[in-house]
Amino acid sequence: MGTILIDGHIIPFKPGDNILQAALEANLEIPHFCYHAALGSLGACRLCAVEITPKDSSKAPRIAMACLEPLEDGLEVSISAIAAQQVRQHVIEFLMINHPHDCPICDEGGECHLQDMTVACGPPYRRYRGRKRTFSNQNLGPLIHHEMNRCITCYRCTRFYQDYALGNDLGAMRLRNEVYFGRFQDGPLENPFAGNLVEICPTGVFTDAIFRQHFARVWDLKTAPSICPHCSVGCNTLPGARDGTLRRVRNRAHPELNRWFICDRGRYGHQYSEHSARPLAPRASGADTSYHDALTAAASQIKSAQDCIGGLGSAREDLEGNAMLQALLNTLGGIYTAFSDPELETATIAAVSSLQNTGNAPSLAEIELIDAALIIGDLTAYAPMIDLALRQAYRKGAKLALLHSSPTPLAQFATTAMTVSPQEMRTTLSRLYQLINAQSATEDMTETPMTDIVASLMGARKLLLIGAIETLTAQEVPILAKLATALGSDTRLAYAFSGANAYGAALLSPAGSAMVMLEAVEAGQIRILIVAGNDPLGDSRFGPRWRAACRNLSALIVLDCILTATAKAADILFPVAAWTERGGTFINYEGRAQGFAPVFHRPEYLPSVAEVITDLGQYLGHSLQAAPSVLGDIFSDFEIPKPGTTGSLIIAPSLPMPTTPPVHSAQESCSSMWQAALTSWYGDEALASFAPGLMVLIPETVAMIEPTSAIDAGIKNGSQIKLRGSSGSMVLPVQLNQGVATGTIAIARNVLAQLGVGHGDLLELEQVL
Amino acid sequence: MSWPTSIAKGITDMNNILKGLQKDLLHLPRTHPKRRATAIPAMQALQAELGYLDDAAIKKITQITGLSTAEVEELATFYSLIYRRPTGRHIVRICDSVCCSMRGADQLLTAAEEYIRTSLGTVTPDGALTVLPGICLGLCDKAPAALVDGEALGPLNDASLKALLQRLQKED
Ligand code: SF4
Ligand code: SF4
Ligand code: FES
Ligand code: FES
Repeated sequence: MGTILIDGHIIPFKPGDNILQAALEANLEIPHFCYHAALGSLGACRLCAVEITPKDSSKAPRIAMACLEPLEDGLEVSISAIAAQQVRQHVIEFLMINHPHDCPICDEGGECHLQDMTVACGPPYRRYRGRKRTFSNQNLGPLIHHEMNRCITCYRCTRFYQDYALGNDLGAMRLRNEVYFGRFQDGPLENPFAGNLVEICPTGVFTDAIFRQHFARVWDLKTAPSICPHCSVGCNTLPGARDGTLRRVRNRAHPELNRWFICDRGRYGHQYSEHSARPLAPRASGADTSYHDALTAAASQIKSAQDCIGGLGSAREDLEGNAMLQALLNTLGGIYTAFSDPELETATIAAVSSLQNTGNAPSLAEIELIDAALIIGDLTAYAPMIDLALRQAYRKGAKLALLHSSPTPLAQFATTAMTVSPQEMRTTLSRLYQLINAQSATEDMTETPMTDIVASLMGARKLLLIGAIETLTAQEVPILAKLATALGSDTRLAYAFSGANAYGAALLSPAGSAMVMLEAVEAGQIRILIVAGNDPLGDSRFGPRWRAACRNLSALIVLDCILTATAKAADILFPVAAWTERGGTFINYEGRAQGFAPVFHRPEYLPSVAEVITDLGQYLGHSLQAAPSVLGDIFSDFEIPKPGTTGSLIIAPSLPMPTTPPVHSAQESCSSMWQAALTSWYGDEALASFAPGLMVLIPETVAMIEPTSAIDAGIKNGSQIKLRGSSGSMVLPVQLNQGVATGTIAIARNVLAQLGVGHGDLLELEQVL
Repeated sequence: MSWPTSIAKGITDMNNILKGLQKDLLHLPRTHPKRRATAIPAMQALQAELGYLDDAAIKKITQITGLSTAEVEELATFYSLIYRRPTGRHIVRICDSVCCSMRGADQLLTAAEEYIRTSLGTVTPDGALTVLPGICLGLCDKAPAALVDGEALGPLNDASLKALLQRLQKED
């Protein structure tokens, strides 16, 4: 560490930094385009010119590119020197030769780096009178709009897309002053992080195509610090709203989580809150009604059902909503849980119990620094930004080992990727545990991938074990935790949960209560079910049972901001505020409690779940405590985290590890049967499935089978097969895919639901000729 | 004879060469630099056979190298001796960089265009010729210079250019 002198200010620097980094760190702005903190220096734009005074006073000062110039103690730099200013002015003038004069109609206007730099350094007038170079634009799909004429060739887009996000369908084509940033042909960008091009491009080449459909100038947008509600990573976002509608979502940097980027689910999933079918008025007995009448109806139903009541919160509902629902149920003597799927409930609780209060789950910034990881399942679908963090670790040389039943994008970066059928996952994990405990990397060649994995895990210094909860069972979770312990105390453990607040929901839900509740509804012991942000009747393996059971109810009371199958079936429906329209708290996959603030309000009255439950309590004659004190009772000393802060680890009474019988034991597999595996993608999430832009990209519905098992069974790529499960059958085209485990058929969530099977259940297959 | 043409002439069995290149890459990681490095001789071999690379040829290179179409297109469009559009039997690249430009290259390009009555970068109707502007050939001492099917020529003037084009149009 030393110091340099910039325009007379003494600036400290870290070894390895360049002039630009040291200056930015000290809040001294040197104009620049191509340098980006996440991408580093390139020296392409030549805007960061500064003047360096040589130590030898007989020599003339020289101009250098600040982003490329290494630092040495005592270096004297001037940003304001006339010569440096002139270089910067000329660079801008050159860039503006071909740049269109279209700021008034450009979506970037008002937050355009080029606009800012031109005003800051450029000549006030254009001297060039010749023809400009022009390009044709490409159709890059529903999410990103392309205007190539605005490009200033800083290469940030391809450096982000190819080098950072490891995408391969966007490139820098051609050469000289004809360099073109685009795809081989028109078509949607395939990378799950493509939307970041909108922020990383310093001009208006890539802009948000969804925002464009209902555009507002940025200075007219209302914003507030928010948290992405679309998965358990809890990326920090900055939504923008105008005139009572939500227009867009941008990244808001968190020093340990999402620093510069968010995933496309987080950026574009927000369209759920503008969906035309979104419920905005309370409904009772099939007709719109007032909030007061809906509460009256709900209260009278609850009173007449006496104690027979259940409350189903949700892993995507905030901590306040879940805690208030639990408090109401406690008062009424009913059962509460946040999970409608008993298996997901136990798996989630098991995972939280193994992580809880330890702070062992690494942040995204820490994941980037690991040198080996064991990944179970498809992280891209359940925690896209964890996938992006692992891509950074891979770029730095980390060895990724992957166990998966259905295709996952991370497989292409894995040192060892092993397909394992859902039913074999448990034995595979146990075997890994044995091998690791045996300490000697057994040279048993028949177990090659396994011993490779063991070797890479045991050889690592910074190790991460991570699994996607939705495709893990409650039996597998403790094995993963044991594996982590066996690998040494530095081993980090994490799970990609289903639901932004799954961690918080697990802290509130007594293990086993989902099954108790389902059985009580089936037996008619629960007559009233209050569902807050959950969709028991929708696409899950228990959907058919819940649908049948709910016929026994005297009233289904639903609180939600999207029109789920359950909301459609509700006897009394309370539309609630979407995440951008209310404040609340989510606990992310690390156990970090983060607060979000309301960004705007709609003209309709849309209370939060916590508010509806409080009001319902009033109508029932119980005055519940306010959410902060309810939470304070459950989690001692808990303080609601302030939106915009980095949040902190929630300390909670420890959960016992739930004990459950093996899930698949009841089913004897026979040779004509195949196992079903859930295949998912980055847009597959309850809220995001109401975002029309993302849904254009939904992968086609196919049955994916591993090529050799398909050949053995005489099944060809593209042929039609009929799949039969416990509640139905479906004909699907076959797609051969190396990423599927042997004897397994990977199918999408809605297909599984229609067949009435879950991940790991058996399916019958019949060829259709 | 230009470098790509000369290797091309040495290629007896293009498919074997391409297969050999592909085999080398089989077990390399997806982002290994050798994949890009291999794309260039693969493109040259294919171009020697086809005259230029159409979209199908680009896809063939992706199969050989494991690169994506966008990654191959980056390389194909960066190198000016890789052609992404049909070319004539003979290719004349007239240098229009600084020295040649000062010595009349721009007029030569216009003259060539008028003479063959086909715009730069396209093929004459008889399939004989493609004239293109090119970048500095390192023949600045012979400005204005040109590269004709891999052979360097210069200095050119109106008359010698016309004679050249006339000769090439008659040749096979
Ligand atoms: S498209 Fe944008 S990010 Fe890419 S080089 Fe051009 S200006 Fe830079
Ligand atoms: S990774 Fe999860 S929290 Fe982050 S932006 Fe994507 S969906 Fe939202
Ligand atoms: S920021 Fe230094 S050259 Fe672009
Ligand atoms: S400028 Fe034409 S050969 Fe150098």
